[in-house]
Amino acid sequence: MAEPLLALQGVSKRFGSLAALSDASLDILPSEVHCILGENGAGKSTLCNLIFGVHVPDHGTMRFHGKQYHPAGPADALANGIAMVHQHFSLVHDMTVVDNVILGQERGFVNTRAWSQRLEHLANDYGFALDPNAKIEDLSVGERQRVEILKCLIREPRLFLLDEPTAVLLPDEISALLDICRRVTESGCAVVLVTHKLAEIKKAADRVTVLRGGRVVARSDDPAREIDALVSAMIQGDLKSLDKSAASALGVVDGDGDHSHRTGGFETPRREAVQIDGLTVVDGHGVTRLDNFTLSIGPGEIVGVAGVEGNGQSELAAALSGMTAPSSGRIFVGDLETTHLRPKDLTAAGVGVVPEDRHAVGCVLEMTVAENLFLNRLQAFTSFGFLRRKELMRAARELMTRFDVRAASPEVAFAALSGGNQQKAVLGREITLPHLQFLLAAQPTRGLDVGAVAAVYGHIRSACTHGAAVLLISSELDELIAVADRIVVLYRGRIMGNCAADPSERERIGALMSGHAQ
Amino acid sequence: MTDLAADIIRRLSGALRPSVAISVAAVLVAALVGVGLIFALGVSVTDAIAAFIDGTLGTPYAIAASINRSIVFALVGIGFVIANRANLVNVGGEGQIAMGGIAATAVALYGHVGDLPAGLAFLLPLAAATIAGTVWGSIAGVLKIKAGTNEVISTLLLSFIAVWLLYWCVQSPQLLRKPMTSSATLPESLEISDPTKLPLLTGDYSFPLHIGLPVAAVITVVAAVVLTRTLFGLQLRAVGFNPIAASRAGISYSRMVMISLATAGSLGGLAGGLMLLGEQYVLKDGFSSGYGFDGLVAGLLARGSVVGVVASALLFGFLRSGGINMEMVAGVPTALVMVIQGLIVITLAGAAFFMGRRT
Repeated sequence: MAEPLLALQGVSKRFGSLAALSDASLDILPSEVHCILGENGAGKSTLCNLIFGVHVPDHGTMRFHGKQYHPAGPADALANGIAMVHQHFSLVHDMTVVDNVILGQERGFVNTRAWSQRLEHLANDYGFALDPNAKIEDLSVGERQRVEILKCLIREPRLFLLDEPTAVLLPDEISALLDICRRVTESGCAVVLVTHKLAEIKKAADRVTVLRGGRVVARSDDPAREIDALVSAMIQGDLKSLDKSAASALGVVDGDGDHSHRTGGFETPRREAVQIDGLTVVDGHGVTRLDNFTLSIGPGEIVGVAGVEGNGQSELAAALSGMTAPSSGRIFVGDLETTHLRPKDLTAAGVGVVPEDRHAVGCVLEMTVAENLFLNRLQAFTSFGFLRRKELMRAARELMTRFDVRAASPEVAFAALSGGNQQKAVLGREITLPHLQFLLAAQPTRGLDVGAVAAVYGHIRSACTHGAAVLLISSELDELIAVADRIVVLYRGRIMGNCAADPSERERIGALMSGHAQ
Repeated sequence: MTDLAADIIRRLSGALRPSVAISVAAVLVAALVGVGLIFALGVSVTDAIAAFIDGTLGTPYAIAASINRSIVFALVGIGFVIANRANLVNVGGEGQIAMGGIAATAVALYGHVGDLPAGLAFLLPLAAATIAGTVWGSIAGVLKIKAGTNEVISTLLLSFIAVWLLYWCVQSPQLLRKPMTSSATLPESLEISDPTKLPLLTGDYSFPLHIGLPVAAVITVVAAVVLTRTLFGLQLRAVGFNPIAASRAGISYSRMVMISLATAGSLGGLAGGLMLLGEQYVLKDGFSSGYGFDGLVAGLLARGSVVGVVASALLFGFLRSGGINMEMVAGVPTALVMVIQGLIVITLAGAAFFMGRRT
């Protein structure tokens, strides 16, 4: 075995009472793609942050190139040749690509042209094109990520950390990214790829380390063959017991997912549960963001909305959830017109909303889990304006058990929960609305791990079997095919086509997503 | 033995929440610098401190005057904390006090309330002061909701308007200036009649504690309970932390902004009314005395806690009295009190900055 580039020995990190990482040991070899696999809260990000110097380990040692390595901060890690792409990008939107790359790397006078040329060469070396003078705000999410990657690669790192890089990418962007990872290793640099998607491991990983509950629970030098064992270690269960839709959406198995809820009593809807007529949203600049969106959803039906992000999905969700007034068009839920209802009245009418941006719209991070679980109906826990805290706590505990929201108590801050648990809490709140008629779920599984994804699908389906209509907006085509009954494709605010949710339609949907009508 | 000492220290620091520790530390740092400055002035530190203590606790009159002043700071500070729960910063206490003073004077002098029974003689001017403050606070709320005007700017500028309105009122005989009998007539209002003056708790002018104290105590308790135990308090916090998520959850942002700024204004107006009807009796230029800003600092120092406001208001109330006496007896400029208050604010802001960097 080659001399490891980075060796972690018994590394531990606690945050308060939470052991984020316990006694973790692993070796990263030169020129390898090393995947860190684990569910949310398993300690993957903590591990990266320790290596990148964001946090200091409580115990254990790190050796880099055989020497003791104690980074004092990210700047120190960078100076040592360790670079990291974070889950959330750190780019200045109204600056150009090259300016963003130069930021933090140069002092005094700046030769922008020389940097542009270097950047273009580098991009070419890795097999993609990128205009150094393009503004970040004009780039797609995938392109922005490439800028982040170039920002790192231009420093010629020896160890390259990527924290959940594929969560925001389209299918072909993901495979392009994995190609880039492979190429990076050709120069002797090691790549650490944090993921919970098994398809990526099959494609790209040389070796895998699996974390669960902050501990290393499995390792593999031949991940493609041992994938089943790795999954079992990650979720502490059997792959066969995994929800079929979740498995297919994550690329573990091929297939059509589980549409068993379709055999419920709602196969031929008697009347529409939700009727959207010519919904149009024009933004403040006079640009039509959503154009004449017309759709009806039957009770117990799941309709998927496919499309590359930024093609009107956010505006559709905002209009349906009472956050934006539509410019024209009407919305009916049952017999009630809800077009201009405020969020409060929509909640009363039985419209549940799982917003796309969980942190900005779905919750108040600084408040407690219990308060967030009932944020839209706290009135139910008051007498004469006073909160009945005990009752709220009891109800919160019940909901936490039912939706498997894991937290020390209902009184901890919502921010202390992992992303998956936050999403389960938001979903739990919206699905348990009294008289739920319509559930709008936008990107409900973004950034979640296998277990949480399966739980989310299960809850959405159970809402259906109780007769609610569901609109599922997602940029993950696999997810839509696995979960929805039928799919409409949005392109530049218009519905490009109506498709069956069937794997055989994948190509046609892909074409519609890029604007090619048939 | 050292183990025991370590244990006690650990328990103590656990009991003091970090916010309390920071506030106490800020006050101590400022006090130390204050002592250093007295020393640098060449004044005997012991004389200065003796004068300070004499001015704060030396006589019943000094104590009552300090408490009356603290009441004003506490009311403005509580208003600041309420607005701050919704992530709003009300710096308009000065103007709200001025509006309260104008309204109280107008009603007390020309509202024909002097003969009314059952305390209405002073309660009506007090109500008028509260309403005037509410209106002044609400203007900032309306501007925020309708035009997105930052409330820091609007409340501050509204303060300037109010202070100059007051100046106009006491300069113009058509408004509140007392009848001009000679060219030496001062630009101030008539003294309000005795029935409209706030009753003293003891009835003794050597201990002039007025009924503002129980009023402020009730308001303190109500504010603390509303903020911590009611749905409204929770909704205010939700709007403060995340207005978008709050509005999606059916909590009206506009409503919360209006209520919190109007309440802050009403408490400022009430404070102005108490100042006029309880102590000054005559409206004149400079009426608000910078108490609006002292109240703001009290709210800032309390770091969101209503109980904390009471503590810091008392601190500043006595600090001011002591400062005045230090100037008269020991020749230390009262500006020193301002320096100490300023230092407290800077220390707090600095502590918040370093705390933010650490996490």
